[in-house]
Amino acid sequence: MKAATKFVPGFHFPLFFAGVLLLVPALNSYAADAMVEVQLDVKKAAPRAIEELTEGRILRDYRFAWTSMAQALQFNTFDPLEGPFSGEARRWLRQTVTSQQQSGLSHRYTDQNHRLEAVFYSPEGDVVELHDTAQYHLQILDGEKDIHDENVVVHYVVLMTPGADRWTIRQLQAVPQF
Amino acid sequence: MARLVRICAVMGLAAACANAGAAQDLRVPDSAVAGEQTSISTTGSGKATFYLAGPGVSRKNEVALGQEVRLTGHDLRDAGYYLAILCSETCRSAGFYVSAGKAASLSFIVHPSRVPVAQDEAVNGVAFPFDQYRNLVLAPVNVNFRLNTKDASLFSRAIRTQNGVAWFRTASGKSAGALQVVASLDDLTTRRAVQQVASDPCNLRITGQRTKTGILVQTEPVHDCSGNVLPDGTIVTFTATGPEGRDTVDAPIKQGIARAQMDSSGATTISVASGVVMGNEIRVGAQP
Repeated sequence: MKAATKFVPGFHFPLFFAGVLLLVPALNSYAADAMVEVQLDVKKAAPRAIEELTEGRILRDYRFAWTSMAQALQFNTFDPLEGPFSGEARRWLRQTVTSQQQSGLSHRYTDQNHRLEAVFYSPEGDVVELHDTAQYHLQILDGEKDIHDENVVVHYVVLMTPGADRWTIRQLQAVPQF
Repeated sequence: MARLVRICAVMGLAAACANAGAAQDLRVPDSAVAGEQTSISTTGSGKATFYLAGPGVSRKNEVALGQEVRLTGHDLRDAGYYLAILCSETCRSAGFYVSAGKAASLSFIVHPSRVPVAQDEAVNGVAFPFDQYRNLVLAPVNVNFRLNTKDASLFSRAIRTQNGVAWFRTASGKSAGALQVVASLDDLTTRRAVQQVASDPCNLRITGQRTKTGILVQTEPVHDCSGNVLPDGTIVTFTATGPEGRDTVDAPIKQGIARAQMDSSGATTISVASGVVMGNEIRVGAQP
């Protein structure tokens, strides 16, 4: 006698499978995001104080921007740059991706830790300047060949502006020191 | 190898020996400016692959060791951190920073675009200097802010940038009209305009007279406390209270005066307000 396949009432296997397929990239994205540690100190923000809600949004969007940047420069794709970056930051990041596509290089940023300090918040709240002391593990690959591998500390001057639903990075400029 | 190390230690030339052991090395510039060419010197002999990784650039090419690698202005147009990597059997790398060049433009944001006169800290502006490649100029520079109306200078101050930004905040002027807001840095000038408008009414007064159909009520010319006529369209609210009850009419100012026709046949008290400002009250007798 042929064994009958048992179905749990209300359980639809293809739908469940599709759900898992949809969930995996989201979990991956969450995992990458979770590896970006960001702390923000707003005590020195002036002339306007940063409200608690704004602080939370800046933290969330800055973390997401670095996750996106790491993906774009690892896989040499433009899509992750479209939401979190604007202006000059987006221009040079897109240029980097184009250039990497031609040279065959890629960057891998891991174990990111960002200590942010807000140093300027405009009177109308339409631009914030941050100083980021970023620590991360950086690997540069030529195809599969590892040509550079080190833990680095880099200081970034960052300008962020609010958009319709998020803060975007307009300027991201590394400097020797603040 | 152990023998070589021992010899080096004895001779006090450990660093030189380490170099001698390496196939190639490179020396990056101590400082570089965005858009300006520079070079990286290499040591060793034979061929190697040179990489330059930085903001906006990912370059890879073959080089002859022992010769200089030229970096063009185009390679270094974005300020930031660059890595130069030289690979033959092994890879050696060195990082260097490129800083922004001379300021070539000013991003200048002024708020608000329309402001009532004589308000404290009502006008503010923020200026960011950028070089010709749109890198933020972080070296301190003086930005001159000037606010002028057609016949007076309201504000003039030189502010030194801090972390690449200079800003001001000041009171609006006394008279309605265009306010020119100028930020300048050396020979760079950026202009913005703010429209100053009359503030709240001052001494809001009305007169009224009975007509065949009711009461015609109108304001005297409506000014703010600085003497500016309130703009057309500003709403004035007339409220009539009489035996028939309470009646309210909103009327816009036209050429400085607001008028309204109130329907009331009995003795009526009429008051006036505009925004948060209350005016006088008048009493009009009953229709004869």
